[in-house]
Amino acid sequence: MIHTTLMLILMLLAGSPAWAQDAIGFVKTVSGSAEVIDTGKAVKAQVGMPIKTGNTLKTGPGGTLGITFKDNTVMSFGPDTELTVDEYLYAPETDNLKFGTSVAKGSLQVVSGAIAKLKPKSVTMKTPTGTIGIRGTHYLVKIEP
Amino acid sequence: MILDLKTWIFVCAALLVAAGCATPPPPVVPPAPKSYVVLMDNQDGTVGQLSVSSTGGEILLNKSHSGVDLDGTGTTPYTVDESRINRDFAEAFSAQPPLPVSFVLHYNIGDTVLTVESQAMIPAILEAAKNRPAPDVSVIGHTDTMGTVEANEILGLQRAKSVAEIIKNAGLNVHDLTISSHGEKNLMVITLDNTPEPKNRRVEITIR
Repeated sequence: MIHTTLMLILMLLAGSPAWAQDAIGFVKTVSGSAEVIDTGKAVKAQVGMPIKTGNTLKTGPGGTLGITFKDNTVMSFGPDTELTVDEYLYAPETDNLKFGTSVAKGSLQVVSGAIAKLKPKSVTMKTPTGTIGIRGTHYLVKIEP
Repeated sequence: MILDLKTWIFVCAALLVAAGCATPPPPVVPPAPKSYVVLMDNQDGTVGQLSVSSTGGEILLNKSHSGVDLDGTGTTPYTVDESRINRDFAEAFSAQPPLPVSFVLHYNIGDTVLTVESQAMIPAILEAAKNRPAPDVSVIGHTDTMGTVEANEILGLQRAKSVAEIIKNAGLNVHDLTISSHGEKNLMVITLDNTPEPKNRRVEITIR
């Protein structure tokens, strides 16, 4: 409780803009057509754009996108790729750790971050045919629709 | 015309034989599997693990470049060659953001002034952030177990704040900054309570 309060005060003092306070990551690279879908609304992806839980990240033909999450997970998407962040909890001090994504199509590279190292069984990626459980690792996924 | 069952069977069998004689059955070529996952080396040279589950069961990948088809039944891992990886993932590779880097700065007992050695690391931290797209930075303060939990929560925060000030004053253009304290709850070296330990008096700064 004290921690949460202090953290909140500090974030205000640090002057983080409101849009970034529930950010779980940021767009770091974009080329061609790429968008972030937030509660049904698609916005053209731009470097620095915050990513939130529930967002769908999507690239069009020829588009690419790179995201770095707060737990240091780095994802990069090739063209025609679609991934949704279903769950993201990163509070190591209270052991609240979870990272669940679903990939519908496309090609992506993932370099896992702290959540996969601290609590390996809490990181999963759903694919159209099953589930991948990630135990602290670097991997590639290709899904043809 | 209505045929009884026996006649139907005879006609069908005759047709099958005729078809078989006319053209030999084509060799069975399964379509090239397109959906797959492949495990790669970590940056430090180690290799992690992936468990891949589907209706076909669960399999474990634990070797570099070992992959499995994601067709719902794939249970046989195989080695994915470099040329296939480059063909399928060249664009994803090209979009990879720089990997995050972390630094640990240390303090003398009970205060918020960096040790001389840690002070000297500041230029390297600024350099690491310089060419990153939209650098977002987290600063986490830690203490040793000297004093109370509450006091250490505050001391950790003061340490984190002072580091955040230093990097901001040095002209680092930070896209997003998160400052927090783990107090004495996240020790680098486990100690008893009320134990001075220089390695635990630290601030971790991560640049993404």
